[in-house]
Amino acid sequence: MSNDLIVEGTDITLAYRRTRHRVSSLKQTAIDTINRRIAYENFYALNGVSFTVARGETLAVIGRNGAGKSTLLKVLARVLPPTSGRVIVRGSVAPMIELGAGFNPELTGAENIMLYGTLLGRDSKTMQTRIEAIADWAQLTEHLDIPIRAYSSGMVARLAFATATDVTPDLLLIDEVLSVGDEDFQARSKARTAEMINSGCAVVLVTHDLNTVQSMATRALYLDHGTMRATGKPQDVIDAYHADLR
Amino acid sequence: MQVYDSAAKQLPVITPLKGVWEKRSLLRLLVARDLTVRYKRSVIGIWWSLLNPLFTTAVMFYVFNTVFKARLPDGQAFLPYLLSGVLCMTLFNQGLTMAADSIASGAGVLTKVHVRPEIFAFSATISSAINFLFGLIPLTVVLLIFGKHPGWKTPLLLVFMACMTLLTTGLGLLLAIAYVNFDDSRSLINIFLLALQYMTPVFYPITALGPHTQKVIHLNPLTSYLQVFRDVYGGNAVATIHEWLMMGFTSIFVFVLGFYIFGRSWPKVVAKL
Repeated sequence: MSNDLIVEGTDITLAYRRTRHRVSSLKQTAIDTINRRIAYENFYALNGVSFTVARGETLAVIGRNGAGKSTLLKVLARVLPPTSGRVIVRGSVAPMIELGAGFNPELTGAENIMLYGTLLGRDSKTMQTRIEAIADWAQLTEHLDIPIRAYSSGMVARLAFATATDVTPDLLLIDEVLSVGDEDFQARSKARTAEMINSGCAVVLVTHDLNTVQSMATRALYLDHGTMRATGKPQDVIDAYHADLR
Repeated sequence: MQVYDSAAKQLPVITPLKGVWEKRSLLRLLVARDLTVRYKRSVIGIWWSLLNPLFTTAVMFYVFNTVFKARLPDGQAFLPYLLSGVLCMTLFNQGLTMAADSIASGAGVLTKVHVRPEIFAFSATISSAINFLFGLIPLTVVLLIFGKHPGWKTPLLLVFMACMTLLTTGLGLLLAIAYVNFDDSRSLINIFLLALQYMTPVFYPITALGPHTQKVIHLNPLTSYLQVFRDVYGGNAVATIHEWLMMGFTSIFVFVLGFYIFGRSWPKVVAKL
């Protein structure tokens, strides 16, 4: 049974020591060291966060700006290793976080699909066979062989979305539900996201839109300054969040 | 099924190296990207990338051959000696700074997608090595003009390039940590690179120096890399067994050290990106 748990997070903590004045030059560090003025403080981006997400579940993470929501997604995406606690993720992960990171404007659409897909951890041989289908879905087949610096920003976003959503992962990480491109494409991308969410994979969704939480999430988690304030049924968590905002 | 367990034991150096090896198809794509972008599908791009070392050589040739009237012992031709020195230093400087840059400026990718950062450093040093191969074209022309030829040791060039790639990858990873932590480390490193260039016999023969200075120059590991390169391609110098060993040892040592320190500090570095 426990293998149905795609994500197991136990006491996830991400703390780092940072200088109080955010020094970022050698010169300033040298001066401050001589004057013994460097003050360090421990900063907790996440503090003792525990939760699980099973196959088919959608966990919505809510909270104010800087509460650690995006940091939590990055921990699940294996970008940031927790400083203590433990995260277990079983299966493949599709991070839909700022799509198109790694796109190079000088490369063609096809080359960018290859590079981006491989960066996302997919097999490059399989990617080769998927280029046409991805371009077709993004409606960019005719523009596949020109450098994407000639694309409009909407076209780049379509290419990124189509590449990122080409596979159905075991765990889908969403930082705000995306709507890119023109109206027609927005509708199609929303439908595709909903389709992925409903495909039975586990979903962790970060959003400020509480309507989305109510309509899509099966559970919710409310973060405040890196700590868990509430978790459980979406409505209860939203109520707790609202109570704090007041 | 792949399982990510943040508490899984990570072996220093070994785990990152395995990660790079598993993602070698990504490495290939990254190198291809670097080369496509640099040469932009044109022959001019190749010449453009050679402009810097060729122009540097021209300036140095004028200054040291014409103004200072430098002469190599035994009437050895100065131009092939100088050009091979400049190409070697360009390979080192470019590989090192590009590797460090690839991580410091790769924040967009590295903070969103799980990918071993060391792959980016490797792709930078490998594309500099390929760039270096293009630089051998003008060097070969110069060698032929002076009645020399690359020589039968040319296959050993691969050993030199492999060592240089290991050295610059390791050093580049260490430099990347500085780049991320301190904004002004970029300008400081340029001063160090300049000092290092003068401490390497790029435009002077070692024998022209006093015995004490010679010792200092030989303590600089880059001297052995340069001597080996001159020896295996064009026979512009003779590398001693000591210099071969120095090159091999420092490349592996710096590479392992770079991977070790970088791997340990990566969690802190990525949080700052």
